Amino acid sequence: MKTILAVDDSATMREMVSFVLESAGYRVIEAEDGAQGLDRAHANACDLVITDQNMPNMDGLTLVRSLRGMHDYRSVPILLLTTESSDGMKQQGRAAGATGWLVKPFDPATLLQVVQKVLR
Amino acid sequence: MTAQAVGSRDAADAAQAADLLVTVASTLNERLAVTAEELARSQGLLKEASDELMTAFRGAADRLVAAQRVDCADRPEKPEYGLVLDHLYRAVQHLQSHDLVNQLIDAQKHRVERMREKLGEAISLAAPPVHDPAQAEQWIERSRAMLDCIVAGIAQIDQDVHSPRARSMDSGSVDLF
Repeated sequence: MKTILAVDDSATMREMVSFVLESAGYRVIEAEDGAQGLDRAHANACDLVITDQNMPNMDGLTLVRSLRGMHDYRSVPILLLTTESSDGMKQQGRAAGATGWLVKPFDPATLLQVVQKVLR
Repeated sequence: MTAQAVGSRDAADAAQAADLLVTVASTLNERLAVTAEELARSQGLLKEASDELMTAFRGAADRLVAAQRVDCADRPEKPEYGLVLDHLYRAVQHLQSHDLVNQLIDAQKHRVERMREKLGEAISLAAPPVHDPAQAEQWIERSRAMLDCIVAGIAQIDQDVHSPRARSMDSGSVDLF
């Protein structure tokens, strides 16, 4: 079973993402912000990270950069799931090492398709 | 000190203008206080409604998972489960609106609070008595300081505001790099 780390400061969003992923057979670990996400990533071998951008303590882009600096997460796919949709932000995400950018509100079927694709 | 107590005509006009500025700033601040209250109330109502919806959603999702567990041991999955899951997925998409609207209200509250702070600061500049009420320059200086404060508030209104920026046409879009 693949393990996915879901990072979002909104409990509702974490619950929505977890429900969709778990209903498709994935194990989900949750974190409330980038700093906690980094701790969870250290403590667990995650196959995919899905993170929000605007969060307290550590934002999504900083989390992506930090994960890419870790040996175990150099090639693990990382998706940004955020309300931000500007080209500038997406470029920053790409430069930081993110695998993809999804704009909220997400469509569950689309999220699952993307997850399956990047986990292949 | 009011305009009546001022000697020269120019000073009286300038004092009146300063008083008018205080009245405008005070009235605006009162209206913003009402707006802040209404935003807080809207956020409370939204939270109440979404909490109820989330409870209903959780109940349905948990029942589905439990039913799937009971059935999945030796029988093929019932097609009804797929239908229920489709409905729950639709709910997922729309329940996210709560989160987005909540963020939008937070951003508006932040802007209103920031403007109220600056208006309060501007009003407080009018509190100390004018050194020489007969000098129009002193009233003009006071008005200018108040206006500068208000203009600074308007300029800083978007600072540290993290409102959702996605346009509706971008919602749900995917970019793989």
